Amino acid sequence: MTTDNITFGFFDEDAKKEIRRAMLKAVALPGYIVPFASREMPIARGWGTGGLQVTLSLITDKDQLKIIDQGCDGSVNAVNIRDFIVSVTGVEETTATPDATIIQTRHRVPEYPLSENQTLVYQVPYPEVLTTVEPDTARQKEMHANVDYAKLWVLLYEDTAQFGDSRISSRYPVVVNNHYVMDPSPIPKFDIPKLSDNPALQIFGAGREKRIYAIPPYTDVKPLKFSDREFAIEDFSGKACERCGSEDVFLDEVHLDDGVHFFCSDTYHCDTHLKEDRGAA
Amino acid sequence: MLLELKNVSKIFGSGCNNCLPETGEQADRAICPVCHSVVAVNDVSLKVKDKEILGVVGESGSGKSTLLQLIFQDQPVSEGTIFFNGIKDREGNNCNILELPPARKAWLRNHEMSMIYQNPHLGLNFNFSAGGNIAEKILGAGEKRYEVIRDQALYYFGKIEMPRSRIDDYPDNFSGGQQQRIQIAKALSSSPRLLLLDEPTTGLDVSVQARILDLIKALQYEMGFSMIVVSHDLGVINHLTDLTLVMKNGSLVEYGLTDQILEDPQHPYTQLLVSSKL
Repeated sequence: MTTDNITFGFFDEDAKKEIRRAMLKAVALPGYIVPFASREMPIARGWGTGGLQVTLSLITDKDQLKIIDQGCDGSVNAVNIRDFIVSVTGVEETTATPDATIIQTRHRVPEYPLSENQTLVYQVPYPEVLTTVEPDTARQKEMHANVDYAKLWVLLYEDTAQFGDSRISSRYPVVVNNHYVMDPSPIPKFDIPKLSDNPALQIFGAGREKRIYAIPPYTDVKPLKFSDREFAIEDFSGKACERCGSEDVFLDEVHLDDGVHFFCSDTYHCDTHLKEDRGAA
Repeated sequence: MLLELKNVSKIFGSGCNNCLPETGEQADRAICPVCHSVVAVNDVSLKVKDKEILGVVGESGSGKSTLLQLIFQDQPVSEGTIFFNGIKDREGNNCNILELPPARKAWLRNHEMSMIYQNPHLGLNFNFSAGGNIAEKILGAGEKRYEVIRDQALYYFGKIEMPRSRIDDYPDNFSGGQQQRIQIAKALSSSPRLLLLDEPTTGLDVSVQARILDLIKALQYEMGFSMIVVSHDLGVINHLTDLTLVMKNGSLVEYGLTDQILEDPQHPYTQLLVSSKL
């Protein structure tokens, strides 16, 4: 692919400006959903176009780019998006979480703690948390404005009454800055605590739904939970990654003919942990 | 004084200066002859005291239900003011609840008032369980502790004489009378000071009607809330209320003690209404 005739970052400057304005508004109102003019991209809607547009309008030639899909740098979706962005910007790519300045992610927060000079860009399929209880978008906006989330709480009440706890495994609703309730994209419950008070800027892009929202650095983010109930994350006690031996990380459950196996979901973490072990030996 | 309405009107349509004077009791019509707007409520003023039970009667289309909806803020009011005890502005003066910001209006609806609709589909969310519906009202009133919500839901579920084991069933799985009772439990679960009932027993068979009326009356006696009961059934009004107002073409035509109105009606329309009683 030749990129001689393509502007830096694929978009023209007006397009970038429009998307940046949406992002600025999103950062100013933590958790508030901002509409934007989602563009046609060379990949299909629903395959990360929201995250891609956010990344392309943020990126500069000094950035180091990391793209992950469910924690993995090597999956087809991640590789394609990374190759595309590199081809239209020429930026340096990396798989090392601490080296990256922009990390675009699908459905995971990296295990390695983020820092202030990093931006985490989420790919979001369903930005509106209220859709399950209120299909009318005008009513949804009113409910957000009035902090009227009783209907979401009722779902939580019903799950607690019938099953003892919420049945939600991913996309667990969170309260941002004590106001807006937000869909954190389909990250596992394991990653929810990492959203809060995070030094990195977190931006959420939904290309198909044409929405952007954000969590600014060091913002309070709480899972929606009754005050007399504990928020429980996935329990991996007694299990460890079969490749690197890590515990206390999010593990992928792999079903093979000889039974169930567990591996790190975050490939960078797995690789570095393996190296450390070998170095020590 | 718990609730006070001053010159409240509701016009459906474009509205003009002739709407109010050209319609109502005297004019004997509810549709404005100039602009053809429907005047559902025409210049109604009334007061409800603590623990008082007010009945509203009138033929269909007389504006009874619209009046309730205006009080509950289901519909925007065209003209007039509504005061609610304890709702004050920054200077501490009683303020018109129609001018409150949306969040305070929602607060008023969740904490101080409740509405029971004729059709359970309006009052209940059929996607939520019976307990979930009751919980929605408690959650709306600000409670965020699961155990407290569950206990309260079970308590009010017991109050309406339903077995606790059915609390997690969905409204579809209950009969019409049971759905109506779940609405009552939901409405009362936030301990409101004012309960609005819009034809609460219409469409139920008479034995169920009697049980629901007795239940409402017993709960009112126990909890001490005020009520406004809209019904076209004079039997219901006679059974439940202390005071009655009669509406015709959106106007208030007669107001007084229920016994007096039913025994000795003054207005020709009320006389007609009472004499037509089966």
